[in-house]
Amino acid sequence: MWGFIARKLIYNVPVYLGIILIVMLALRVQDPTLMKLGKNATPAQIESVSKSMGLDQPFVIQYFELLKNVVTFDFQEESWSHGGKSVGEMLKSSIPMSLAITVPTLGLSAIIGVCIALVAAYYRGRAVDRVLMIVAVLGMSISYLVYIIFGQFFGAFLPRQALGGENWPFEITGYGPLFLGEGATPMNWVSFYMLPVIIGLIVSLGYDTRFYRAVMVEESSRDYITTALAKGASKPKVIFVHMLKNAMIPIITRVMSTLPFLITGAVLMEIYFKIPGMGFQLINALTNLDFPVIQGFVAVLAAMFILTVIATDVLYALVDPRVRLS
Amino acid sequence: MIRRMARSRAWRKFTRNRTALVATGVIGLYAAIFLTIVGTQITDWAGVTNIGSRQGLQMRVLPPKWPGFLESAGIEQRYDAHDWQVSNLNRLFRKDLESMADPSGELAAVSLGERKLADKPIAELRALNEQLNEQFDAVGEVYDIYDEVNEEHHDLDDAIAKAKEGGDEEELAALRAQIEPLEQRRRDAESQLSTALDAVDEVYEELMPQPTGFGGVVYRFRTMFGSDVLGQSISGRAFYSIKIAFQVGLVVATISVLIGTLLGAVAGFYGGWIDSAVMWLISTLSSIPYLVLLAVLAFMFSGHQYFDNSAEYPELQLVKLYTAMGLTFWVGTARVIRGEVMKIKELEYVQAATAIGFGRFYIVLKHVIPNTFHIMFINFSLLFIGAIKSEVILSFLGLGVSGQPSWGTMISNSKDDLSNYFFWEVGAASFLMFVLVLAFNIVSDALQDAFDPKHV
Repeated sequence: MWGFIARKLIYNVPVYLGIILIVMLALRVQDPTLMKLGKNATPAQIESVSKSMGLDQPFVIQYFELLKNVVTFDFQEESWSHGGKSVGEMLKSSIPMSLAITVPTLGLSAIIGVCIALVAAYYRGRAVDRVLMIVAVLGMSISYLVYIIFGQFFGAFLPRQALGGENWPFEITGYGPLFLGEGATPMNWVSFYMLPVIIGLIVSLGYDTRFYRAVMVEESSRDYITTALAKGASKPKVIFVHMLKNAMIPIITRVMSTLPFLITGAVLMEIYFKIPGMGFQLINALTNLDFPVIQGFVAVLAAMFILTVIATDVLYALVDPRVRLS
Repeated sequence: MIRRMARSRAWRKFTRNRTALVATGVIGLYAAIFLTIVGTQITDWAGVTNIGSRQGLQMRVLPPKWPGFLESAGIEQRYDAHDWQVSNLNRLFRKDLESMADPSGELAAVSLGERKLADKPIAELRALNEQLNEQFDAVGEVYDIYDEVNEEHHDLDDAIAKAKEGGDEEELAALRAQIEPLEQRRRDAESQLSTALDAVDEVYEELMPQPTGFGGVVYRFRTMFGSDVLGQSISGRAFYSIKIAFQVGLVVATISVLIGTLLGAVAGFYGGWIDSAVMWLISTLSSIPYLVLLAVLAFMFSGHQYFDNSAEYPELQLVKLYTAMGLTFWVGTARVIRGEVMKIKELEYVQAATAIGFGRFYIVLKHVIPNTFHIMFINFSLLFIGAIKSEVILSFLGLGVSGQPSWGTMISNSKDDLSNYFFWEVGAASFLMFVLVLAFNIVSDALQDAFDPKHV
C-alpha cells in the first residue's frame, strides 16, 4: 500500500512542476509590474515593486522560490491591492471559508445522492424511478447561476422581508469566522454558510443521482446478485449489503471527480454571497491585477487539486485491491 | 454514410423517441435563430444590408423596467411611466416644430421602437399633447390623495408596532379599529387613480397608437419580456444571446471533440509510449481546474490590444475562453475514445486492413475513427451544454463576454433587480437557456440510449 502511495506521489510531482512552470511563464508574458503601475511609472517605483516580488531575479530562482513557498506554506509577499497583508495571511483566512462550503456540500451530496439512487434503482422502471429521473434531468438543465440567484432570493431575501431579520436563520450576504478570530462561533456556519451549502447540494444532486442510479442498475444485472437472490437473500439485503459495497468504486471516483466542479461552483457562491474564500480572492485579484496574490493562489489551488487526485487514487486502491497491483 | 445511418437500428430507435424528436426540433429552432443573426451580421458587414441587428437592441421600446406580458404594471409604476412619457413629449413640443424644414427626426426621437407618433399634422399632435397634459394634471391631483392615504397607512403601521412593543392593549385595539376604514379609503383612492390613468392612456393611445400589421408583431415581440433599466427590449437581447451561446458551444465542442478523438484514437491504437504520453497529458490537464487556467489566461491577455475587450474586434475577446475550455474539455472525450479504440483494434476488419498492408495512421483515420462516430456525436452534445453553461458563469464573473449581449451578462446586470421584485431580465435569460440545455440533455440521453443500449 505504501509503495502504491509513493508511486502515485512520484508520478504526480512532475505534473505539478509542469503546471507551476506553465503558470509562471504565462503570468510573465506581460510584465506584471508595468501592468499594475501603468505607463507613467518612474523607474524607481518599478524597481521597488519588482524587488518586493523578487521579479528582478533570474527565472530559475523565482521558480524554486515559489516551490519553496508552496512546500513550506509560507507566502511572505505582500499583496499589491490589500496594503500590508501578506499572501500567506490571505490564504490562511480564505481556505477555511472555502472548505466550510465545499466539504459539507461534497459529503452530503454523495450520501443523499446514493440514497436517492438506491431508491430509484430499487423501483427501477416504475413511477417513482421515472419521476426521480425526470426531476434530475430538469434540475441538471438549470444553470448554477440561476440556482444561486433564486436560492438567495427565496432562501434569504423573501423570508427576511416577510418575517423580519431576527426570525430567519440565513443571512443574505456576508461571512463570519467559524473557530478562530473575534466573535467566532460554530453558529456562524448556519447563518452564513448553510444556505450556500444547501444550494450547492441541490445543484449537484441532479448530476449525482443520475450517475449513481446508472451504476446501481448496471451492478444489479451482475451474476452475483442473481446468485444471492437465488440463495434466498432478501431484496433489501442484496441491494444494501452486496450491491452497495461493489458500487463503491465508481461512487468514490465520482465524488472525487466532482471536486473541480465544486471549486468552480464555490467561486460563484463566494462572490454572490460575498464570502472572501479562495475563489473570491482570486477573482478580486484578477480585476486588481494583483500579481502576488494570483501567483500564490493559483499555485495553492493546483496543489490542492493534485492532492485530491492522489487521494482519489489511494481511496480507489483501498476499496479495490486489484488497483494496487497494476 | 448518412444513408447507412438512416437505415441503422440505432437511428430507428432514436426517431421512435418522441420527446427526443421534439427536443431536436427545439434545438433546430435555436440553430435557425443563430444562423439568422449570423447571416444578418455578415450581410451588414459586407455592406449589402443595413439591418443594424445590434442597433435594434439599443432602441428604447418601453418605459424603464416595464414588466412583460404576464404581469401588469402596478399603479405607481404606471404613474411613473406616464410622468416620464409626458415630460419626454413636452420636451419635444416645446420646440418650434412648425418652422423646421424636416421635423421627422425630432418626432422619431420620442418613439418607442415601432410605437411612433400618430401620422397627423403637427398642430393636431400639439393639441393632443395639450389634452394629455390636462389629463395628467388631473391624475396628479388624485395621486396626491393616494399618496396621503398611503402615508397615513404607513404611520398607522408604525403606531401599531410601537403599541405592540409597549404592550398597551387598549391603544392597540383602538388603532386596529382604524385599519379597516383606512384600507377602504386606500382602495377608493386606488380605483380613482386607476380611472384617471385610464383616461390618460386613452389620449396617449391617440397620440402614439399601438403599431398594427407587421410592425405590431415586431413590437409585440420586442415588448414580450418587458424592458430593462434603459427601456431597452429584454426579449431582443435574450434571443440575441443565442448567438454567443451557440458560437461558444460550437467552437469549444468542435475543438475538444476533434482533439479528443484524434489523441484518444492514436493513444488507444498505437499503445506503448504514445499511450503513456497521452495519458500523462490527460492527467496533467485534468489536474488544472479550468477556472484557474482561465484566470491565468485572463491575466496574460489583460490590457492586450486585441484579446482584451477590444472594441475593434469584439470576437477576439472570446479567444481566451475558447483556449481555456478547448484545452481542458477534450480530456473526457479522449478517455472514452481511447477505451473504445482499444476494443475496436482487436476486430477483424482492422486486422484485415493491416493484412492488406495499409499504414497504421491510415487505418486509424479511415477505419477506426469512423466507427467511433456515435461517441463523438454524444460527446459533442455534452460538451456543447458544458460550454454554454460555463460561458454564462464566466461572463457573470467578468471573465467571458463583455459588451455583447449574452445570458451571463444579462443575469449579472440585473441580479440586483430581483430585490425590487423585477424578475423579467433574469427570468428571460434563464428561461431561454434552460430550454436549450434541457433540449440538449434530452437529445444526448436519447442518443446514448440508441447507440449504447448497455448504458443505462
